[in-house]
Amino acid sequence: MTPEAQQMIDQVVKLVRKPGLQIDENTPLVSSGLIDSMALVDLLLKLEDITHLRIPAGKVQPKDMNTVALMFATAQRVGKPRK
Amino acid sequence: MVTTKYRTLIDALLSAPAERPFVTAWIDEDEQETATFGEFRRRARVQALLLKESGVSVGDRVVLIMPQGIPLMTTFVGAMLLGAVPAILAYPNFKVEPSKYRFGLAGVTANLQAKAVVIDNEFPDDLLEHVTLGDARLIRAAEAGVAGGEAELPNPGNEPDSLAFIQHSAGTTGLQKGVALTHAAVLRHLEHLSAVLKIDEMRDIVYSWLPLYHDMGLIACFILPMVCHLHVVMQSPLDWVMHPDTMLQIFTDYKCTLAWLPNFTYQFVPRRTPRERWGNYDMSSARALINCSEPVRASSMNEFYGAFALCGLKRSALQSSYAMAENVFAVTQSGIGGKFGPEVIWADGQRFRAEHFIETVLEGSPGAVSFTSSGQLLPNNRVQIVSDSGEILQSGYAGEIAIKSDSLFQGYYNRPDLTEKAIRDGWYYSGDLGFYLDGELYVVGRKKDLLIIGGENIYPQDIEEVVCSHPAIHDGRAIALGVFNPDLGTEDIVVVAEVEKEELLQQADDIEREIRGNVVANMGVAVRTIFLKPPKWIVKSTAGKAARSTTCQKLLAEHPELAVES
Repeated sequence: MTPEAQQMIDQVVKLVRKPGLQIDENTPLVSSGLIDSMALVDLLLKLEDITHLRIPAGKVQPKDMNTVALMFATAQRVGKPRK
Repeated sequence: MVTTKYRTLIDALLSAPAERPFVTAWIDEDEQETATFGEFRRRARVQALLLKESGVSVGDRVVLIMPQGIPLMTTFVGAMLLGAVPAILAYPNFKVEPSKYRFGLAGVTANLQAKAVVIDNEFPDDLLEHVTLGDARLIRAAEAGVAGGEAELPNPGNEPDSLAFIQHSAGTTGLQKGVALTHAAVLRHLEHLSAVLKIDEMRDIVYSWLPLYHDMGLIACFILPMVCHLHVVMQSPLDWVMHPDTMLQIFTDYKCTLAWLPNFTYQFVPRRTPRERWGNYDMSSARALINCSEPVRASSMNEFYGAFALCGLKRSALQSSYAMAENVFAVTQSGIGGKFGPEVIWADGQRFRAEHFIETVLEGSPGAVSFTSSGQLLPNNRVQIVSDSGEILQSGYAGEIAIKSDSLFQGYYNRPDLTEKAIRDGWYYSGDLGFYLDGELYVVGRKKDLLIIGGENIYPQDIEEVVCSHPAIHDGRAIALGVFNPDLGTEDIVVVAEVEKEELLQQADDIEREIRGNVVANMGVAVRTIFLKPPKWIVKSTAGKAARSTTCQKLLAEHPELAVES
């Protein structure tokens, strides 16, 4: 796992607030109800930070954020390099 | 009756100077797209031709589900060019549950008996599955780059009394309430609004992050600029929520003069903008930032002013308005007649709760409550304050706000049942509670939110304000609910509030005790239970307000012991 993915996972664990929760890059988060839609704003901001990309929020759907692996794929697909 | 400058909205658009900028879609610091009025008209004709080829004609309802931006706006006008009646719905986004979205889409399409649903090429396929569109045809909007549109379209014979478009009433039940408006009603309204705002087409530039499916975004930030030939700079609501300081950047770069903002914006922007950057912007061009769509709080506007006075923000730019889709848009506007800003008054809290009466007292008197006005009535607008028993109340008494005007809607589209409840004797019963005092309208909350505790009327917003004044509570993130107590035969107050930081939950006992003390001291009523929750627990609506009923359901689901039969 990349250090970036680990950072993202740490952030997810913080947001789910479920002590002792084990997740990996492929754990479903949205479809399993672990993460609600409001928390996704924070995750998108974190994703922007980690990837140094600007992510147009309007191009992101819940399914694009379902796992940490998908989050990075989404960032690559819709993200724009920041100056 | 007012004589308007134009016969139809289309006439107004066609008379705009071709070279003048109309819409700038602000994507980010590096990417912006501007359409002049001439280019906008060309692109609207392209969309009109596409709709025409798909069988759309005069009077057909057309539902538009496209991301915020120029293609959505040109498709909207394209439908109007054909004499069809467009209605904009929220575009799906990562904050909306797919199942809820499909349900809303199917309901609206059926109610409007829409001829077509227009989507963009990136619309997620999974959201269209399981949706019954009835007889509506699905159309993909034309891409921006498509050529054509120079040819004149056949005149569909738009008349002042033809339906121009349908806008949906705000709120969770709003999707059932399509407000159909004629060209004449919209133009009459804009005549009043532009006069009281002293709109100057050579000077004014509108800023907006507001969604176009709400009246504030649609009327104030799209149709008003179209009719008055103003430049509007807009960004998507989601991009703004992610980076609220972009609003300040856009004001700085484009020298915007006007914006309409819900109350929470005045706190959200300064709190999400790092303090060291507060001085980096130039807000001196703003002449009216109009607080609209939520009860207006002077404290929120003061917070915004306190943060950005350094950037040249003028105190007189902080204004307010009371508006709703059913009246096209605004009923009142502050600042009319050269006033400084909305009036702020203090009233005796006890008399207000017990008798619904406003006895003004000095600022800061013990037990006093403060109210910020939404301004003065627009020309040809009237309000009545009505009691529960239907009696018209005198000035200074709070009750339901009923409205009559020359731009009032005729009824909800295809919903005579809802219309009958809302319009009586030509007055629209808004469901909002307020009072009228010395020529100013004050909106204090929603009728159905009123809590009745031991015969005393309690406005949940007042309790919430007290709860939020505690430093451990996130401002704007508290909800007070009435829960029936069968032992006492009346409602008990239950408060759910978010703490600023999760660690604060370790001091929950102390915080709860302090909040209880504050509520009793300020309101004279006791709270039965306080639920302190971690940040982000309270459900927010798409407009960013705390969604009362949804939060209530969430609370009841987590705490079934609260759900007793009333």
